[in-house]
Amino acid sequence: MSKSPWIYHINTGSCNGCDIELVSVITPRYDAERLGFKLTGTPRHADIVVVSGPITAQSKDRLVRTLAQIPDPKVVVSLGSCPRSCNVFKGSYSVEGPLDKFVHVDVSVAGCPPKPEAIIDGLALAAQIMKQKKRGQK
Amino acid sequence: MKFPYLKEAVSQVFKKPSTEKYPFVKKEAPEHYRGKIIFHPDRCINCGLCMRVCSPAAITRTLKETDEGTQVTMEFHMGSCTFCQTCADFCTRNAIEMSKEYSMVVENEDDLKVRGTFIKKAPAPKPAPPASPASNLGDSPSSPATPNNKEA
Amino acid sequence: MILFYVLIFPGFLFCFIAGLLLAGIDRKLVARMQRRIGPPILQPMYDFFKLLGKETIVPRAASRKTFLIASTIGLASLVATALFIPIAGFSAFAGVADIIVILYLLTIPAVSLILGGAASGSPYAGVGISREMVALMSYELPLVIILLSIGKAVGNAMGGGITFSFTEICAYQMSFGPIISKWSMIPAAIAMLFVIPCEIGSRPFDIAEAETEICEGPLVEYSGTPLAVFNLNHAIKMFIMTALFTSLFLGGFSTGIFALDVLIFFVICVAITVISITLLRAVTARLKVEQVFKFYWSVVSGLAVLSLILVWLGL
Repeated sequence: MSKSPWIYHINTGSCNGCDIELVSVITPRYDAERLGFKLTGTPRHADIVVVSGPITAQSKDRLVRTLAQIPDPKVVVSLGSCPRSCNVFKGSYSVEGPLDKFVHVDVSVAGCPPKPEAIIDGLALAAQIMKQKKRGQK
Repeated sequence: MKFPYLKEAVSQVFKKPSTEKYPFVKKEAPEHYRGKIIFHPDRCINCGLCMRVCSPAAITRTLKETDEGTQVTMEFHMGSCTFCQTCADFCTRNAIEMSKEYSMVVENEDDLKVRGTFIKKAPAPKPAPPASPASNLGDSPSSPATPNNKEA
Repeated sequence: MILFYVLIFPGFLFCFIAGLLLAGIDRKLVARMQRRIGPPILQPMYDFFKLLGKETIVPRAASRKTFLIASTIGLASLVATALFIPIAGFSAFAGVADIIVILYLLTIPAVSLILGGAASGSPYAGVGISREMVALMSYELPLVIILLSIGKAVGNAMGGGITFSFTEICAYQMSFGPIISKWSMIPAAIAMLFVIPCEIGSRPFDIAEAETEICEGPLVEYSGTPLAVFNLNHAIKMFIMTALFTSLFLGGFSTGIFALDVLIFFVICVAITVISITLLRAVTARLKVEQVFKFYWSVVSGLAVLSLILVWLGL
């Protein structure tokens, strides 16, 4: 179960720094496919959801709907410091708040943007958590 | 129909791949990399400049009065930090240092906070100056500060 | 005995293992061509078993029974096709008109994908199935012409007329050598090498299951067990198409030991996969729908028709 986690990435208004670092994990230099990861095109195929960006007011509805479309067992990873605490956008009129308010976050990868090696660490931890969830230990 | 890079594709099957095998081989960040913050509480003087310049307001301070002085706790929230190094640049006593640690992966938020506590003693009260009537006219600027001069 | 054929030897278990191994080798080689370490060769098996453990969500706008059964129809027809193709000279059901049966059975997996997409009730799936229909139309024409030309070539040698039976083709290759050694069949072999990627759905012809453009096309609303079976269909189709190519064009060898024959057959299947699927997949991008259609109906069909004319003239 932890040998083939499929990832879906949601960008809720991020500056794209974290997105670029996430996509660079699939490139030949930090190849994540050797650990079984694969970026899918649709949330219905995914196991691990990676969310980046502070949740803006316009993307809040879509985020909640997309998160509901992911089949169990699923793991939510917050990438960067924006979903953790809205970074520099705290208190803005269009930012709804950290990801904690909408869904239980399992793994947070801190950094602005996090280095691809840190992202690989976070994804490996998420795969372990998924295995535990499948066995019903969490 | 052109098939570019066909020759490279075939020849690269026989060469070594250029992947860095990260979790099995650790890698060090480059020189001057701005990673996790290390706070030295023994050098801090509680000036509060870092809190003023931090753009995401990631630094918080809690004060507690004890009999030895004020207990100051500085807390740096890595989950809100932008790693811009401005606090380290502005710190007057070099109490903030950015290490090269880049892998901050946690499950609960509390592990992301870097804290440091120190006790700031109040300065010893100065002895009262001898009061002399001639110095009240203010014609010797080097006289010790009296309550009248301080208000002026 | 028939149960053994259906379930174990050229049936379900053999296709399962061979198909997933071929898919794994293909992914690993694509990664190596791009200068990275790829997934382990057994990765498609891990994917399959992981997907069996996920929950299946049926969207509200989908028709429930068709949604869940569509993938199994494709699997059943692929296993049935494997019973007709001679693997190392041994085919479970030999008949008089094998080629026509295979031709009809090979359209069913594509139709099952279209069924599944249509039952999803999502606009992305709608776009995906119309593209799959275009792909189906484009590669069926050259495939029929290639099979006709092989049937005529073998029929010429065996006494006039066209033959549609696989046993005669195998007997011909045993006595005269592989069909690809006839110079008039070489255009047909090249055409078949182009038909294989389109039938399987791999770059540059994967217009149906376009991952980034239309959110994975017809499979957009699938999750759990039906998705696992669709991926299995994809892998088994790789095996069936390369096995078809090997038994049609490169047959005629035999070492006497059956297990060794099957192994050599599998190795040749891997070689064909590398040449026609992996090499193209690693270096090309996706073609547009109109470009695929024009390509198949002009260049590939032209090659196949050339072969047909040469064979009909008796060369």
